[in-house]
Amino acid sequence: MVQNVFPDEKLLQKFNIDFRWLVPNWVGIREVEGENAYRDMWGIKWVYMLNAFSLSDSPLKEAGMSELGRFPWPDPHNPEMFSGLREQARQWHENTEYVIVGDSIKGGLLTKALQIRGYEGFFADLVENLPFAEALLDKLLSFYKEAWTRYLKEVGEYVRVVYFTDDVGAQNAMLISPATFRSVIKPRLKELIDHIKGQADVKFMYHTDGSVVPVIEDFIEMGVDILNPIQTSAMGMDTYAMKETYGNRICFHGAIDVQQMLPFSTVEEVRYDVAKRIYDLGRGGGFFLSTCHDIGEDVSPENIIALFESAQEYGQYPLAMEGILKPEDLNPEPASLVQDAPTTKKARRPRRG
Amino acid sequence: MSASEQKEELLDQLYDQTIEGKAEPVRTLTEELLKQGVAPNEILFNGLIPALEEVGRMFEEGTYFVPEMLVSAKAMQGSMSILKPLIAEQGIQPVGIFVMGTVHGDIHDIGKDLCNIMLEGAGFEVIDLGVNVPAERFVEAIQEHQPDALGMSAFLTTTMPMLKTNIDVIQRAGLRDMTKIYVGGAPVTLEYSKSVGADGYAPTGSALVRDLKKLSLTP
Repeated sequence: MVQNVFPDEKLLQKFNIDFRWLVPNWVGIREVEGENAYRDMWGIKWVYMLNAFSLSDSPLKEAGMSELGRFPWPDPHNPEMFSGLREQARQWHENTEYVIVGDSIKGGLLTKALQIRGYEGFFADLVENLPFAEALLDKLLSFYKEAWTRYLKEVGEYVRVVYFTDDVGAQNAMLISPATFRSVIKPRLKELIDHIKGQADVKFMYHTDGSVVPVIEDFIEMGVDILNPIQTSAMGMDTYAMKETYGNRICFHGAIDVQQMLPFSTVEEVRYDVAKRIYDLGRGGGFFLSTCHDIGEDVSPENIIALFESAQEYGQYPLAMEGILKPEDLNPEPASLVQDAPTTKKARRPRRG
Repeated sequence: MSASEQKEELLDQLYDQTIEGKAEPVRTLTEELLKQGVAPNEILFNGLIPALEEVGRMFEEGTYFVPEMLVSAKAMQGSMSILKPLIAEQGIQPVGIFVMGTVHGDIHDIGKDLCNIMLEGAGFEVIDLGVNVPAERFVEAIQEHQPDALGMSAFLTTTMPMLKTNIDVIQRAGLRDMTKIYVGGAPVTLEYSKSVGADGYAPTGSALVRDLKKLSLTP
């Protein structure tokens, strides 16, 4: 789902939102004639369905190694991409106390590779055609490094956090194995993070949906300062245990689930979940409360209001959750976090008869 | 080596190479087995199906992830494309008919496609309606194919309500009792499946096949 949501400034102020996001301008958008669809600057096609744009065509789906070089990569120095951002950042910086975040140049390493090659195609590359997969990732890495250099030249003195969106988690497991993540994705992300931090004095916020517990230690090693969005509806994303294990080495941003919790809870349940996430992740600081994704049309206005009001109410230090959280949610025995599953060898073929 | 030993050896290799996702050797081994006179059905049931069951197990346990599973599934499809016409020629009936589709407004297909391959591997004839399938197409497919089961996938919380819409439309068409209805997709849970009136829910393709076995539809 790729589209930008710009919340109304009045709403942001009403709910006391502390972050303001600089969003690089979309460039090179081409509408597809006769369809409610567009191609982005990478040539990836998105079609509108119900209320969102979904991926429908990938420009490199048939490509071999030689096409990679000939592919019309977008220009990372395109000044249109960042025009107006410096002025916006300066205004916020001089007139407000907001945390200014440099939003992602849409898409990450794995996510962009999957979109540009096609999901099935790139997943297969990771197993069958690793040189191609790595060459594609290197092309993307070099684009991002140059684009972030340019971006931070514009706004680096004002932004305190930069945001990089990727997705390496799925609902019940990681999208790719922790081993593949470590050998293929991690070194390139680390190179990008080092590069970005060399351009400006910024904290690095890494976005990945889904279940990613096995690689949080790797994120810390890569130089991730803030992890987003802590999708609590995904397997194993136990907020209390994550804080216990990693809380003094990484900050958390998110944890308010839009997949199960916000759409399907009563106002009271929303308030309880907010209190629990603040308690779980906010003990000792290091937690930015936020929804895990855009708030969909399936969330009632009452639940949205309950979320931000209770965040205000419970999110004051020192945290006082006695009488609010059930006794079993206060100082629980931390669950053990799922690390790499014990990998077994394949079984021999069973003989019949 | 006796003919029977040789056959078992080739089936072992087919099984191993399918799990490893080596498409070329899987095709070659399939052809070799056929040349040795091994029945297509035996290749399917003693080579490919156990391989896919093992892949499913490794996926659920966390040894395999989507990339490894996709590549195995593709390798198996290569073999299936050789075997299927032969099996049909021999007049062997599928264990059941399964109609599958992603709901209207949703074009996510990997989960659905993996389920399809697991189902075909388990001997089902799969009628894939594709993605962004309107409710009426599901109704028509039930009338046309009289499937033993119908599966609907939704990947987004915003398209998930289509599961209920579709089941209601099928109900109103008077077809609800003609088939079992399964739902799945990332945000879907067992609880949710019950709330929309589905007969079943499966988090993975292999769980779906296991569940269907309970209906005595698969061997």
